[in-house]
Formats: sequence, structure tokens, C-alpha cells
Amino acid sequence: MHDFNPSITPNGVFWIVQIPDNAVQITGDTLTIHLQNIAVIDQLHFPGGTGNAPATVSFDITYTKSGMPRRVRPTSSDPLSPFTWAGKMWMATNTGTFSAAYNDGSFAATGSFSSSGNFGEMGTERNGSFAAENDDAVAKLLPSEQGQTGVGVSQLVGNKNAELRSDLPLLKGRVPIKGFPLRTAP
Amino acid sequence: MTKGIKIAGALCILFLCSLRLTGQVLPVPLPGGDIIQPFGLFNQFFPGVGAGFDGLNADPHGINNSRTFVAMGYTAGTATDSNGKTYNVITDIRVYQGDYIGAVPTYGAGGTTSAKAHGTFVEI
Repeated sequence: MHDFNPSITPNGVFWIVQIPDNAVQITGDTLTIHLQNIAVIDQLHFPGGTGNAPATVSFDITYTKSGMPRRVRPTSSDPLSPFTWAGKMWMATNTGTFSAAYNDGSFAATGSFSSSGNFGEMGTERNGSFAAENDDAVAKLLPSEQGQTGVGVSQLVGNKNAELRSDLPLLKGRVPIKGFPLRTAP
Repeated sequence: MTKGIKIAGALCILFLCSLRLTGQVLPVPLPGGDIIQPFGLFNQFFPGVGAGFDGLNADPHGINNSRTFVAMGYTAGTATDSNGKTYNVITDIRVYQGDYIGAVPTYGAGGTTSAKAHGTFVEI
């Protein structure tokens, strides 16, 4: 088994890497991300155990939103709850290609993936100290500060009349579904 | 004269100590997350409907105090290594772009100061 990830930061941020703004392009209903040679480790015994191999991954992914947006409102005041954020989300699919290679050259692989049939979403979100702001704050933020082309506020926030309100918490689970990003198993 | 130099020196030290150390504004994680035994808390939720997921409206973000665009999705696929061996692939790659309030190392000794920043992050 292989599990390529950039590690959890000392303060607990989960598998995140900062990338240049222009690695992400938002145009209409799609978001594309192009990254090359991102430093990661192959965590050979995820999620526990020892043994990591320094590696790099490269990938191109296109996320495409569809349908009507739903407006999400905080439904809990418990900071530990998953339901403390606000935003406007669309269901989304994504497809991508990737390559991964050990730094010492002993392993390399290429592949592709698709979210077909699996959950995906995209939209705008505010959490923590931003959760109480109104939705327009995010709408103003995105196009102007991204410095990107081809995206309009209306495209990101969608048709307000077509909102699908869905702010009720549904199921809450504790099973590590995520557990294995970019994992390859023999 | 000596007294003046001492006062100037003290002012310089005071000024330098008042400067924030420059550097990256480090994002801070969600306070909540899923508990995966026996490893403990992972500061991350898993949006989705059905067994094992945290619910349709579970927070998809990995960074707290953020105001961003977000995209995510669970995928499946295949890969082939350089020896021709094939693998099943599962991914959950999330993208965040926008503003966040993070932490800047300040004054040494592990101290931090809150700071607002703009950035793009990918969760691999």
C-alpha cells in the first residue's frame, strides 16, 4: 500500500500544502488545478506505523459544479461540531490524472481517477471567526482578489432564485472514509 | 551623552521588539474533526451522506477562520507503476482559495500573533 500525503503540520492542519494562486483557475462552472512535483511522503503504514519515503506528486484535476446551490447555515454553536460554518455549495464532480515518484527513483506510477458516483462539492465557505459574515463578503473576495480571469461573481454564487436551502445536519459518522488520499493498493 | 546613548539604545530595542516577525501566516486547523481509533483526533471532517460520512453539510474545510472558495470530492481510479504493476487509487483532494486568519510566529519562544492572509491551499 502507498499513501502519498504532505503530513500533518505540528499544529494539526491536515495534509495541506500552500500553492501559488495561479495553480488554480476558476472559470464558469469549473475549477482546475495544475500542480507539479509537490513534495510529499509515502506513508507506508497509514494511518499508523513507521516508515516514510520522500516523494513528489503531480496532478491535474478539473472540478465541475452542477445543479442548484444550497445555502448552508451554522446549526451548532459547539466549536467541535462539523456544522458551525456557512456558505453556498453546489454538488460537483471531478476527474484528474496524476503521477507520483520516490525521490530516490525506486518507485514511480501514473494514473487517473474520477469522482463518478461519489460525493463532491464546491462553492464558498466561511468558518470560524468568518462564519457570522454575510455571503456577499465571500462573493466580493473571490474574483477581485484572485487576480484570475474568466470568473464572475454571479458564476460563483449562482442564481439566488435557484437556491436550494439545505442547512439541516444529516448523518454524523466516525469512520475514516477519507483515510487514503492518493493511495494505491496492489 | 552616555545617558542619551542609553536612552537611544533602549528605544531601538523597544522598537525592534515591537516589530512583528515577518513570514508565512500559518493556517490553523479546525478545532473539531473525526476521531480515528486508536490514533486519535484528525482535524478534518468527511462530508457526505451515508454510513461513515459526517453528513451533507459537514465542514469540508481543513483550515479554521477561513473565508474561501472550496472544492472537494472523493474519487476512485487506477494507476500503473514503472514495472507495469496496477493499483487501485482512492483520492480526496480538496482545494481552498481565499482569506484566512492564521498565526505568525512572534517574539520567539513559540509565541504567535493572529494575522489575516490570502492564500491557496491544496489538501492531498
